[in-house]
Amino acid sequence: MKRYIVCFACVLAALSVFSSCGEKYIDIENGNSLNTSMYWKTEEDMNTNLIAVYNMFYRQGTWTRNIYTQLNGMADDGVSYAGWTELNEWTKFKYTNYNFAEGQAKIWREHWTAVNRANQVLDHIDDPNIVFANEQDRLDIKGQALWLRAFYYYYMVALWDNIPLLLHTSSAGDQPANSTPDAIFEEMENNLVEAIGYLPLTRTKERARPTKGAAYGLLARYYAQHHKWSDAAKCLEWIVEGEGKSVYSLEPKWEDNFNNKKENNVESLYEIQFSLVNYVGFDQTDNYRDANAQLGTQIEVNQSPKGTGWNNVEGNRWIVEYFKREKTTDGKNDPRLFYTCWYDQATTDFPEHGDQLIYGKTWSDGYSDSGNRVFIKKYSTDVMPLYYWNDNNFRSIRLADMLLLYAEVLNEINKGPNAKAVEYVNRVRTRVGLPTLAESNYYDGAKIASDYAAFKEHIKIERALETAFECIRWIDLKRWGFDDATLKDLQKRDVDYNYFVLGKHERLPLPQRECDNNPNLEQNPNY
Amino acid sequence: MKSFDLKKQIARMGRNRLVPILAALLWTGSFAFAQNVVRGTVTDENGEPLPGVSVVVNEGGKAVTGVMTDMSGQYSLSVPAGAELEFSFVGFQTQTFPAGQVPGSLTLATDILQESVVIGYGTVKKKDVLGSISTVREQDLVNRKTGNVVESMQGMTSGVKITSSGQPGSGSAIQIRGIGSFTGNSPLFIVDGSYGGSELGLNVDDIESIQVLKDASSAAIYGSRAASGVVIITTKKGKAGPLKVTGDASAQLYWLPRYDLMDAETYKLYDDRAYEEAMLQGVAGVTKTQNHFDGDTDWQSEMLRTGLLQNYNVALSGGNNDIRYYVSANHKRDAGALRYTGYEQTGFRINTSGRKGIFEFGENFFFTKSNTQKLNTATGWIWSNFIAMPPTIPVYDESHPGGYGYGDPDRANTYALNPVGYEELYHAENGQQYLYGDVYGLLHLYKDIFSTKLNVSYKNYFGETSSLRKKGNWTMGQGDDAASIGYSTAKHDKLLIENTYNFDYTVGENVINAVAGFSYDTFHEEYRGESKLNPLTIGDRYITSISSATGTQTATGSYIEYALISYFGRLNYSFADRYLLQLTARRDGTSRLPAGNRWANFASASIGWRISKEPFFNVPWIDDLKLRANYGTLGNSNIGAWDYVSTLNTAPRAIMEGDDKAVGITLSNLTNNDLVWEKKTTANVGVDLTALDRRFTASAEWFLSKSTDLLLAAPILWTTGNEGGAPTVNAGSLQNTGIELELGWNDHVGDFSYSINGNVSTLKNKILKLGYDSTVSYTSTSISEVGQPLGMWYLYKTLGIFQSQEEVDSYVNAEGKIIQPTALPGDIKYDDYDGNGQIASADRQVVGSPWPKLYAGLNVSMAWKGLDFSIQGYGRFGHLVYNGAKATAGDFVNNNNNFRGYKPWTQEDPTTNTPRIIFGDSRNSRGDQDRWLEDGSFWRFSDIALGYSLPASLIKKVGMDRIRFSVIGKNLITFTRYTGLDPEFADSGIYSIGYDGCSFPNPRSVQFAVSFTF
Repeated sequence: MKRYIVCFACVLAALSVFSSCGEKYIDIENGNSLNTSMYWKTEEDMNTNLIAVYNMFYRQGTWTRNIYTQLNGMADDGVSYAGWTELNEWTKFKYTNYNFAEGQAKIWREHWTAVNRANQVLDHIDDPNIVFANEQDRLDIKGQALWLRAFYYYYMVALWDNIPLLLHTSSAGDQPANSTPDAIFEEMENNLVEAIGYLPLTRTKERARPTKGAAYGLLARYYAQHHKWSDAAKCLEWIVEGEGKSVYSLEPKWEDNFNNKKENNVESLYEIQFSLVNYVGFDQTDNYRDANAQLGTQIEVNQSPKGTGWNNVEGNRWIVEYFKREKTTDGKNDPRLFYTCWYDQATTDFPEHGDQLIYGKTWSDGYSDSGNRVFIKKYSTDVMPLYYWNDNNFRSIRLADMLLLYAEVLNEINKGPNAKAVEYVNRVRTRVGLPTLAESNYYDGAKIASDYAAFKEHIKIERALETAFECIRWIDLKRWGFDDATLKDLQKRDVDYNYFVLGKHERLPLPQRECDNNPNLEQNPNY
Repeated sequence: MKSFDLKKQIARMGRNRLVPILAALLWTGSFAFAQNVVRGTVTDENGEPLPGVSVVVNEGGKAVTGVMTDMSGQYSLSVPAGAELEFSFVGFQTQTFPAGQVPGSLTLATDILQESVVIGYGTVKKKDVLGSISTVREQDLVNRKTGNVVESMQGMTSGVKITSSGQPGSGSAIQIRGIGSFTGNSPLFIVDGSYGGSELGLNVDDIESIQVLKDASSAAIYGSRAASGVVIITTKKGKAGPLKVTGDASAQLYWLPRYDLMDAETYKLYDDRAYEEAMLQGVAGVTKTQNHFDGDTDWQSEMLRTGLLQNYNVALSGGNNDIRYYVSANHKRDAGALRYTGYEQTGFRINTSGRKGIFEFGENFFFTKSNTQKLNTATGWIWSNFIAMPPTIPVYDESHPGGYGYGDPDRANTYALNPVGYEELYHAENGQQYLYGDVYGLLHLYKDIFSTKLNVSYKNYFGETSSLRKKGNWTMGQGDDAASIGYSTAKHDKLLIENTYNFDYTVGENVINAVAGFSYDTFHEEYRGESKLNPLTIGDRYITSISSATGTQTATGSYIEYALISYFGRLNYSFADRYLLQLTARRDGTSRLPAGNRWANFASASIGWRISKEPFFNVPWIDDLKLRANYGTLGNSNIGAWDYVSTLNTAPRAIMEGDDKAVGITLSNLTNNDLVWEKKTTANVGVDLTALDRRFTASAEWFLSKSTDLLLAAPILWTTGNEGGAPTVNAGSLQNTGIELELGWNDHVGDFSYSINGNVSTLKNKILKLGYDSTVSYTSTSISEVGQPLGMWYLYKTLGIFQSQEEVDSYVNAEGKIIQPTALPGDIKYDDYDGNGQIASADRQVVGSPWPKLYAGLNVSMAWKGLDFSIQGYGRFGHLVYNGAKATAGDFVNNNNNFRGYKPWTQEDPTTNTPRIIFGDSRNSRGDQDRWLEDGSFWRFSDIALGYSLPASLIKKVGMDRIRFSVIGKNLITFTRYTGLDPEFADSGIYSIGYDGCSFPNPRSVQFAVSFTF
């Protein structure tokens, strides 16, 4: 019996030893990473948190790849003949799978990630416990975050219209309801007005960060899109005639806006900075856990001619024809055509450039079976052979676009073009050697300069040629509105519009997965 | 003289391994009747000789003489005419023969009632089992010769679903009683009392038995990790006796099923037609048919071959009362049926145990080293690519960088990948090593009534993957990628310390067994990875040294760590062998849940009533009849190590200007910080019957299990901006009910013995609650709704094909609106489910269930003299599966290949279910339509085995005890209407049960084996 007692005593002793310190053995910290309770405490934290918002530029669904296909493909300047049928249909108003990853889900998901990251900054930036050496830096960070959020919302509304409006860091169980483009606009208007107060006029370094000019430019776009013409005019006035005048001017050589030789130039209000400093292997773009993930853009491989890159998006032929309707003052073709498109007649249209090479091959050697197809040259570099990424900054807001927008806005305010409106159009034209409107050998300059409707129609052409394939045209078309007449017109230029249904295709369907799993989110009309 | 309890005495001698020959001599010497000498061999069901079997001569009901079989299972003694010869051995059924009818070679069958079953920290007689336990025994394993532990269980037990991945060196998935949890429904593996894993590279030849614990009460002692059931594996140990050597060698030829695809000529015909149709319809960008490449490639022939799996095994065992040993070595070599794959494994195992007085010790070591040459892509990819790759593309094309053929916008407009090019340009190899050690000490105190055991087991794993990506392209539009080399490692240490106390006591008719103990289990794993661009090349040769490469270098690293502490106890009590009771309790603390929610208690109770022992029970043909019921709760915390902690992502970088890179930090993966234990409560009622002189066995069960607070990495909305995977959440409740029935018959007619075992089971699941308070959750093909089973097919319903324009125009809704105004004859007619006059997302509907109505398995074996034959099959019935291969082929909407005998709709020949073909227009080929669903029912004869053991008398001369040859055919016969490659495939997650996304099919094989014992 004594033996029993000893044994049981052993058992009890052993058990009690473990129970008393058991908790200690199962309290294991994650040493792989910081946890959130240690963050958002210092100025440095706010800085790094903000950088994470900039990081969202480098995603397939944002400015690395898909948004170019989608915005250019839907508009009448671009078209997709990609061998990937689903991708190609997605730019043709033929939507079958509403969760389609490439043209839809990635763009949606990554834009919301960007918004969520900006919201993190904005949720903490006003915390008085975070001490800044210089209070102005706090405001600068806040201004940047407000601008970045507004930037992402701008493109999301352009694509889907009735998205939720989220202004705070998300929780896992969130099920937000739809908002409207108007409600989002109102919020973003306030945000951008606030940001203008915080952002500096210019930056001498780190020009990825927006300035006052970038905020005025984005706000002008918002206003114009909502037909708030006089508000838009105030912003554009600041850029063109006000303080901005000392900062921005047209780059003498038009093509310098699209190459990697003259980035952050005087014409640029905002550009997305790309670099090949992280030069790693195949498709590292979306590896959000990889500090070495690519920081370049795939715009080049995405739009390069068939047989070379992916050829996910290319140009419609009318762009070439429209360019060729008018000659420069010295009787040559519009030089913008040469730097915008690769097409069969480029050699004869621009003899001064000779038989130019397209990624190492001449048109006749490599592309002669492409008929009258038009490939996009804008933003191409002279890299050879083609790599997945290139480092050519994307000029998101540039002065020429603002000048044409200003002209359009003035025409709307005054119900006809005033002298300033005409002057700004001419400024854009003469930079590339075209005659002024009045001296145009093709257009009826006098009528355009005096008639509201004629000017408005003409602006549509000027904008198409000046900003082709810059992800601007689709948003322009939305601003100008769709009706039976415009649709007929569009169908002449782009057969994709044969599939366009009024009241439905002005916006994409929301991803089905989101509508299915969120009872508060309604699918866009008629989908 | 006290010699009259002769049987007992001989039996005791057998147990004590006393000199049997001496005894035999003694007894034969004392009798002097005129008698015949009978000689023979006794073996077990595997044909292994049985030493120490008592062979007793009975005359007039009294034992008069006897001997014991020797080490080769042989005996010889004189039997008077009219006497009976009785063969008995502990754990085996006793057999009696009249003199003159004694078979020369006798097989003793295991006594199924006496068989012991391992239930965790102890064993119990099979007859006293109160839970739901299925057993796979050594003889079942020996004859099957499967590659891994899990496959060896295929079809042998009810309620267990096993899916093999088909790839060399890769494991198989196992599910017990369906999906009870959202997080890994893989059961807990216990190898010789320590936590293992099915991945352990365990040599099947070393396994003695496998027990599958299916219900809460059986598994309760393992508590928190046992919610998906427990698989207890017991490896072979040395037995007292002289050195015994067993060995076997096998070679298996195997091959993979192939799609029956079009050749280049046929493909061109249809592809041209699809383009012509597109031009007619004005599909944008299509102006001419493709100027096809002139290859005629059968991509499957390029990638598939006959695999050869060789397996060699040798084991030495023996010992005496004080010390026993078992040593084995194994080598396996697998040249995969898919080119560029292969596997090689070498391992050994050593275990010994010893006892002196009250002290006993033992240890068990095994080491496995393997090397896998693997595909560098997900498995589904290769099979979908066989379809996606047009047969017109040549394998090699000098004009491309690297020299491989692939798509071209005008000649074969496809982004499909050239599998040969991909595999040749991108090598990956994976080496793995396991070292597993387990040491225990045991004190038997107080006449074996009380004992305590301290067990320490340690597992060390090291895995490394190296890759070389050469320069060159395998697909259209591929950029000019640099060559690169990569090297990554994973290593882990797993430590388990366990102390248990055992109490066994019998007073009169009361039998008490109690176990108590605690365990501490910890796991630490480290990952490292590095890669570098531009390895040095000399001519065509790549130098794979990271140091000599010249490009950008990247490195990654992280670790995980977790621990679990448990206290547990179990009490088994039986009275008069009639009333049985088992109580189990356990308290667990895990590091994987937030502080405050880490500890939980689990308990279960079982009762059993052996009716057959009741005095009133008088059914002579029933040997044993037992009713049992149990109820209990188990827990699960099988989630990531730190799922409850919100962490920051420090990887984001951004360019500020030029090459000026800045560091960003963000919260990108949202988490739920309030996670609690998932609990699963099971009620189980069963009946076990043994009848007709133990020839017939039956067991039937009904169970109901309910899981609450299910832990699940549930996808959340994209609007949250979440990145880093779905956060874990306590995502609701799920209910499973099922019926399982196992029936067995085994008998012999003279020399011919046979057994038939069958099992059928049903399983139904129902969602009781979903996470984040939602009532429904969708994937692109399925719906999971509260009150309904998980993952029901939710697709557009098709109503055949429009045969004429009139039919298109007359297909209107109630308001007269034409539902598919742009459709043409030959297009698919979709059901306008919501009746709103257009086909849109609200028209998706539940069109069927992916859940089989019935699961069944059958196992028949027979033996006659040296010949043995067994056949094994299993099936699943009454469910719909999604044929991803057909959806991938997609009716020429892109340039993917299609199947031979494909017959699309044409005006001239409209009698088909397949729509017209048109390139670049996906209206007919959408992935979410019910046209891709098929009846997935199948019955498969997975194993057909024929063996022959050479006669003992023959091989004895060369010093052998046993030599057996066998031929096994695997997966050779399958009955199914499913047109995919294999009706048995690895599905793609719990919401997509039944989704066959071009899964890797199971190989078919013929295996030749020889095994010997001396």
